[in-house]
Amino acid sequence: MGEYGLHYGGKYMSSREELLDKLANAVVSGKVDMAKEGAQEVLAAGNSVLTALDAINEGLVKGMSIVGDKYAAYQVYLPQVLMSAHTMYGGLDILLPAIPKSEVENRKKCLIAVVEGDVHDIGKNIVKTMITASGFDVNDLGKDVPVQKIVETAEADQTNVVAMSTLMTPTMDGMKATIDGLIESGYRSKCKVIIGGAPTSPSFAETIGADYRGANAQDAASYLKEVL
Amino acid sequence: MAAEMSHLERASAALANEEVDRLTIYPIACGVCRKLIGDGNITYRQWVNDPKLFAQAFIEGQKYFDLDFAIGLMDLSVMAGDLGAGVRMDEQNTPFVDKHIVNGPEDYEKFEVPDIKKGRSAVLLEGTKIFADALNDQVITAGFIEGPLLALSQSAGAERMFMDIFTNPSAVHKALEIMTDYDAQMVEGFAKTGVKGLCWDYLWGNYACLGDAEYHEFEADKYASKLNKMTVDNGMAMCIHNCADLPHLDTQIKEFKPSIYSMAYYPLISDSPSASQVIEKGYADHCLVAGQVDPQVFIRSSAEDVAKITTNLCQEVKTALCKRNLKSSYCIASGCEIPPDINCKLENIKSMVDTAKVEGRM
Repeated sequence: MGEYGLHYGGKYMSSREELLDKLANAVVSGKVDMAKEGAQEVLAAGNSVLTALDAINEGLVKGMSIVGDKYAAYQVYLPQVLMSAHTMYGGLDILLPAIPKSEVENRKKCLIAVVEGDVHDIGKNIVKTMITASGFDVNDLGKDVPVQKIVETAEADQTNVVAMSTLMTPTMDGMKATIDGLIESGYRSKCKVIIGGAPTSPSFAETIGADYRGANAQDAASYLKEVL
Repeated sequence: MAAEMSHLERASAALANEEVDRLTIYPIACGVCRKLIGDGNITYRQWVNDPKLFAQAFIEGQKYFDLDFAIGLMDLSVMAGDLGAGVRMDEQNTPFVDKHIVNGPEDYEKFEVPDIKKGRSAVLLEGTKIFADALNDQVITAGFIEGPLLALSQSAGAERMFMDIFTNPSAVHKALEIMTDYDAQMVEGFAKTGVKGLCWDYLWGNYACLGDAEYHEFEADKYASKLNKMTVDNGMAMCIHNCADLPHLDTQIKEFKPSIYSMAYYPLISDSPSASQVIEKGYADHCLVAGQVDPQVFIRSSAEDVAKITTNLCQEVKTALCKRNLKSSYCIASGCEIPPDINCKLENIKSMVDTAKVEGRM
């Protein structure tokens, strides 16, 4: 029992620190059931102990940051990162609905998609995880997404970021078509556009009018935190 | 400088790190060579389903580009497709898996080795035999095949497979045993085609995906080692292609001991080794390393720019080989398959080859 633990009516209630540790540790160790349990405990303890937003930022996200750092240092690898991401989303599913609407509205929005003609989404999912862990509200449109859908959703969401990915050369042109669509709709100036995927490069990003092509997922998330 | 050599003489010498007239050259021009057949309008669906058309691309490619090797890469969905995964074939795009067949851990145990005399496995083997028969007296030919971990990820979905490595390792191993049995049958099939080598795609041996322990457990020790030996035992040179950003060079070169190791370079990734670094670190002491022209230049650059890039690579490689007292163990190649996109410029491929013939002189 932690030193900050409290007893209410004979039942032990975890302290703020214990709850945050539990959430962070769940993510680091990739234990989704533990994250879900911790998230439920946060809600049960109430805002006086820990708000849902703090539980996300100081618990789940902190855990994901630790994993991101370990991944960058080659201390953990893709299987662990994917399990940690899966665990973080397990906790987020429970905690996000409990955040007051006014606080959700303040979060920056990111729309992410694999462009039409391509279904390789593992890279996109890792970038999504790191951007989510950076405090963005991410709308994942999935894979093989038509240009028009990305353009229309960007405007409908009033998104701050459009993030696109592809692993294949023939579908790279879909990124340019999307940026052209954003220009045509008048929304391009209202959002940052980042791209990724093995065949893309910073020079390609520049050629098609994207704002950024980072070296990896952490790099993309850092860029967005810096510019938004 | 050695007198002008034939392709076979040069490639054989380079494989043994002996003196050559010039560095060997192999842009990985496979699917793009379908544009050299007939009126140039063959679709991908036609190309990957007809052994004669598949072979014809390599035969025409050799006539047009004049290369030192012919390596029969079709695409990375051949095995997954024959295992039952859904494969999407667009008119002018590399086929890829769009429907995986693992929906839960129990599905790993349902894999069965397909009949390699049917499906695209058969097309690949038959097509490989046709181009091997046509080109064996000119160049070193090789088949191309997915390693067990890649074949499984294509069938199960990479994300699912990687998470299951963490949560259900025994189920993943059971499936890998089947993939290895499938690969083993393909090795015997390739041996009958007459190709001189077999190139394994061991993509997941890279530090962006797996650490040493995981890679050894899930491919190197139990599966790849068996297949590598089997390749050599069946009379073929064992070759590896790994276009990932941070390949396991110690394992895949020093332990696996391939004859050829084909790799890419990612300048944005800080630890991705350049051609000269690969040579300086001693990897070209062990085999013929091939790389590392960025495949995108064949679409997005001019022929003049490709010539400059190739010239720079030749200079970099020759300097590094010289410092290491090596004679020829680097092949001027693209880091991955040249995009078979309709916008790919054949003149850029020609520019790379023609430039390397001059600038690669030793």
